Amino acid sequence: MKISNLRKSFDNFSLNIDRMETAQNRIYGVVGSNGCGKTTAMKLMAGLMKPDGGSINYDGLGPRDITMIFRKPYLLHDSVIRNLIYPLLVRGIKPDEQLLEHYLEISGLGEYRRQYAPGLSGGQQQKLSLVRAMIFSPKLIFADEAFSNMDIESVAFFENYILDRQKHNPATWVIVSHQLSNIRRLCDYVYFMYNGRVEAEGSTEDMLYRPGSDNLKRYLQFEGIETG
Amino acid sequence: MLETLLDGEIIGIITLTLRMTLLSTFIASAIGIPAGLMLERVDFAGKNLVVSVNRTLMASPPVVIGLVVYLLLMRRGPLGFMGLLFTFEAMVIAQVLLLIPIICGMVYTAAGRNAGRIRSFAVTMGANRLQTQFLLVRELSNEIYFAVITGFGRAMSEVGAIMIVGGNIRFHTRTMTTTISLLRNQGEIDQAIFLGAVLMLIALFVTLTTDFLRRREQRTDENF
Ligand SMILES: Nc1ncnc2c1ncn2[C@@H]1O[C@H](COP(=O)(O)OP(=O)(O)OP(=O)(O)O)[C@@H](O)[C@H]1O
Ligand SMILES: [Mg+2]
Repeated sequence: MKISNLRKSFDNFSLNIDRMETAQNRIYGVVGSNGCGKTTAMKLMAGLMKPDGGSINYDGLGPRDITMIFRKPYLLHDSVIRNLIYPLLVRGIKPDEQLLEHYLEISGLGEYRRQYAPGLSGGQQQKLSLVRAMIFSPKLIFADEAFSNMDIESVAFFENYILDRQKHNPATWVIVSHQLSNIRRLCDYVYFMYNGRVEAEGSTEDMLYRPGSDNLKRYLQFEGIETG
Repeated sequence: MLETLLDGEIIGIITLTLRMTLLSTFIASAIGIPAGLMLERVDFAGKNLVVSVNRTLMASPPVVIGLVVYLLLMRRGPLGFMGLLFTFEAMVIAQVLLLIPIICGMVYTAAGRNAGRIRSFAVTMGANRLQTQFLLVRELSNEIYFAVITGFGRAMSEVGAIMIVGGNIRFHTRTMTTTISLLRNQGEIDQAIFLGAVLMLIALFVTLTTDFLRRREQRTDENF
């Protein structure tokens, strides 16, 4: 995916991304303070919002290859299992029993399959929405604070799961997280946003341990990461 | 009069009332639901005005609607040639005009609150246009159901408009509400109360039945 001059303005905010690029099947991180435009940028990239200007080149990917996961997911007014198979139904794919069991198991929702999905706990809802986004194997996944309500063990599990999955069923991931440990474990490359712009970018190592920009240094100082 | 009521006339009145109410609710839903969804979807100059007019009509007194329909249908009115005044059809027309803004307005409000999120979700799931539209209706089905039931209740209890355009003609356009009104005028309070109770029971029965048939919605308002 290649972005150039992406612009979007609201009353009190304007986003301006001159350039952002993702290579196939790598994992990208986007970090920055509250209100710096991470969610807005992701919505634009995922096609949920029309930009005021600029262009996005998806390298031949279509709408059905791209998905986005939210901090507060939208769950159908229906059971867990119906939520899980929805993207398959949309594609006219007959749900494979084994596949369903697999995703129910890794999300820990096996016993909840018949339960009304919006009644799940916050973390369970995030797990359901995460596996629902993976079940149709999209090629480009935007995850906006998709792990924020999960317990530590679950977060670790999904981090490993995603890394492992990259080996046999890879996708390009763009991950927003305020937990820098997520970013450190998952991402190959990190974008730091500040005030609606990409202020710094680089390999995860460089960005977290050898930050160039002052704003990034300030952003990182509360994480307790020793920077050079 | 109680004998006459029970010897079949009452059955006729109840049947007529139900036919009128169901038909009006059906027609008004068939128009009002898509209109409400469409109104939420499109943007055009003057949309706010349309919404304001809709809101006003939602609260308009039935007698006014009745009067308008009367003026349209009366023999020297623009639609007088159709000879519909004081018929079942005239009552249905008045009811439909009364219900469309209510159903449309309620659907529009519900859609306005939720449709943005549902559409975004549909995009993330790869749903096409038709699937998105279908999803929207399904996800809003409770709100839509509520709008239809509200319309049904309104049609069932309405008296002013159908009195004017139907004329409360015995065996012809006499409904439960107009009969109650007539009975009260004649001082037959007991029978008015009896008929009122039947009316309430029917409303209760219809609500319970649809509630039962409808997919049960679990409470999630405490899950925050
Ligand atoms: N639909 C909208 N209408 C008006 N303003 C908006 C809209 N969406 C976002 N904004 C504004 O854009 C700015 C950036 O919001 P955004 O949600 O992208 O931030 P964020 O980086 O995701 O923050 P957080 O870390 O809190 O999630 C905010 O000031 C917000 O108020
Ligand atoms: Mg955000």
